[in-house]
Amino acid sequence: MTEHSEEGSFFRSQKFTDWPTVKEALIAKEIGAAFILAPMAMQLRADGVPCKIVYLGHRDGTALVVGKDSHIHDFSDLRGKTIAVPSRYANQTLLMYKMMKEWHMAPDSIELRELPPPEHPTALLSGSIDGYIVGEPFAAKAEMDGFGRVLYHTKDIWPDFISCVLVVHEDLIERDRALVQELVDGIAKSGKWLDADMEHRMEAAEVAGKMYYFQDPKLLKYVLSKPVDRVKYTHLLLRKDDFDEIMNLAVENHVLARPIAFEEYADPSFCHSLEDLDWDLGHLPPVPADAASTGRPGE
Amino acid sequence: MKARVTVGALLWLALITGLHVQLNVGWERLRGMLLGRRELVVGFLPVT
Repeated sequence: MTEHSEEGSFFRSQKFTDWPTVKEALIAKEIGAAFILAPMAMQLRADGVPCKIVYLGHRDGTALVVGKDSHIHDFSDLRGKTIAVPSRYANQTLLMYKMMKEWHMAPDSIELRELPPPEHPTALLSGSIDGYIVGEPFAAKAEMDGFGRVLYHTKDIWPDFISCVLVVHEDLIERDRALVQELVDGIAKSGKWLDADMEHRMEAAEVAGKMYYFQDPKLLKYVLSKPVDRVKYTHLLLRKDDFDEIMNLAVENHVLARPIAFEEYADPSFCHSLEDLDWDLGHLPPVPADAASTGRPGE
Repeated sequence: MKARVTVGALLWLALITGLHVQLNVGWERLRGMLLGRRELVVGFLPVT
């Protein structure tokens, strides 16, 4: 996440706390682009919102978490339990349906409850749910605080799992392709830099924790290192087969009302091979001394 | 006396204007706008 690209354009990030608000801001054009859930992006397009997926945010980086001392040891133990999901339009929800099918369980054998991601750990701690499936760092939060246990990492049950995708307004694509390309290249280069060295990941956790996420950098360091392939920032190109699998699951489980073609909601023309990209930034700029205590507003 | 009040008022005006620009826009962003630099707002949730 950068404010300035090498070309001098200004990329400003705006933090949200729940998915519906991001969606509304995108529809209202308050933001030109957003990282949103993959099935949500498909639904937006199906609803006629002129936006397209141009890149992935990351791969994997989701875990199914249960209470540390619970008697849940494999997926079948979740029968009759309540599991929080980030949204109906989350790939995490589709993964739950996929797993239920694989474990020969009826689609209603687990109660799926929608909760905003930041509320998942506290809901588990309070006992109002039996587990949750969500993107990091909220899975690691329960693990680090000692009350949660990872039942499955997505990397082990759905390798190269897709959660968030970068969505851009179609009018921006038509008006300023170069700016969209600059953003995509910046994300690709950042990902390549992140995955190249553990030291880079630790630096990024420090900067993102203090200046963007306003979360404890220790938590982000945990996410980015335990294990190191818990979340990946390379291989972010759009692959039709991946999205077809998500779309078919969504239709099968009535999350999407109708099938939607890859070409309708995705534009892979901004994706280039990582070999063509390089980032000569050896280290991130130091975090300003006051950033840790005061934070910076919404950027 | 009148000149001192005028200079003081102008300095105060400049200070308040500067603070407003800093707080609401930011000098770096203002510079970019004046230079015609493009801007894009990207929404995100604090998840991976």
